[in-house]
Amino acid sequence: MDIKTRNRHFQNLMQHHQGILYRVALAYCSDDEDRKDLMQEMKLQVWEALPRYKEQAQISTWLYRVALNTALNFYRENKTKAKKKQLFQEDSLRVPFDDSPNREAMLQQLEQFIQELDPLDKALMVLYLEDKSQKEIADILGLSISNISTKVNRIKSRMKKRFTQFNPDPHE
Amino acid sequence: MNDQDLKSLWQSTQVKMDQHGQIAKENQLAIRQLQISHFLHTMKPLKIFTLLLGILWVGIGGKVVLNIFIHAFDQANLFFLFSALIQIALTAIAISVYIYQLILIYRIDISEPVLATQKKVARLRSSTLWVTKILFLQLPVWTTFYWNESMFDTSNLFLWCIQGMITTIFTVAAVWLFINIRFVNRDKFWFRWIFNGNEWDPILRAMELLHQINQYEESTEA
Repeated sequence: MDIKTRNRHFQNLMQHHQGILYRVALAYCSDDEDRKDLMQEMKLQVWEALPRYKEQAQISTWLYRVALNTALNFYRENKTKAKKKQLFQEDSLRVPFDDSPNREAMLQQLEQFIQELDPLDKALMVLYLEDKSQKEIADILGLSISNISTKVNRIKSRMKKRFTQFNPDPHE
Repeated sequence: MNDQDLKSLWQSTQVKMDQHGQIAKENQLAIRQLQISHFLHTMKPLKIFTLLLGILWVGIGGKVVLNIFIHAFDQANLFFLFSALIQIALTAIAISVYIYQLILIYRIDISEPVLATQKKVARLRSSTLWVTKILFLQLPVWTTFYWNESMFDTSNLFLWCIQGMITTIFTVAAVWLFINIRFVNRDKFWFRWIFNGNEWDPILRAMELLHQINQYEESTEA
């Protein structure tokens, strides 16, 4: 793959799928600076892995693999600077919801819930929230569909419990 | 709020950059800058310096010891010679294992399925402990290299008792550490004490991750 084609593919990929990288970074970093670092690292890894991309694979599956592997490497190498900072703070990167402060609060709760998961459950949770099918999740993570199903159900029930706890139904 | 609401809430998070159209500006120059900053970020000067020093030590030390073996074996102090040989050999093994691990980590394809990739990386990263284990095996020879034959003729029993005790303690400690530096002991006080500091964090995290991956696979297989 020559450099021009690579550049073109990369730009095209970022144009359409940068949200994937951002949301993976959101799951693995609570700090804005860390998130920017992780985004940069993911972009670099995407760029470097591009020549190895095989057309028969779905591009989003490939991109999730690169993004999640990079995020897990980032976590493992302990590159985060946010250790002593508060878990949640004002996020200058994210676009705020103008119309609904409740949604912003809910999103914060969701982020907090994801941050508390262990690194592998985070990966699963991101893919679940991205509305990936169990087959796609299995492809990305490298587990069987039945394994994924068990894990997803476990996480769903944890999530349900958490969000009921935070937002109890007033009719109950 | 149901699952579908949560999913749409999550997917609605966007990056400001998207809106400002900055992605279009990603070009070769930006990538070059990323590569440079990534290189500078990952390059740990102290680690590289230590590695180079180790290679230099093995190179020069190895040459000296080999020369003595070949040209002056009869006149040499055998305690020094064999202690130095063991020390250099163990350092050479530790450096080779470390470099081999780095090469394998570098060659891992990051676009492979996540669990398999992470298992490979974490296994390699946590096997860095082997380097430490090997280096600890050198402990006893640091207490024997200065011995010489005249010590046997002139030294008194008391000094030999002290010397013997030191060498025995170092030998027992080396073997004990070689056997016991393992993931299962990660929470023990002595383990935390030895592997205290930022330098060891990635290795401890790699071990933790490996443990989680194994549990992940086991729990879903059950």
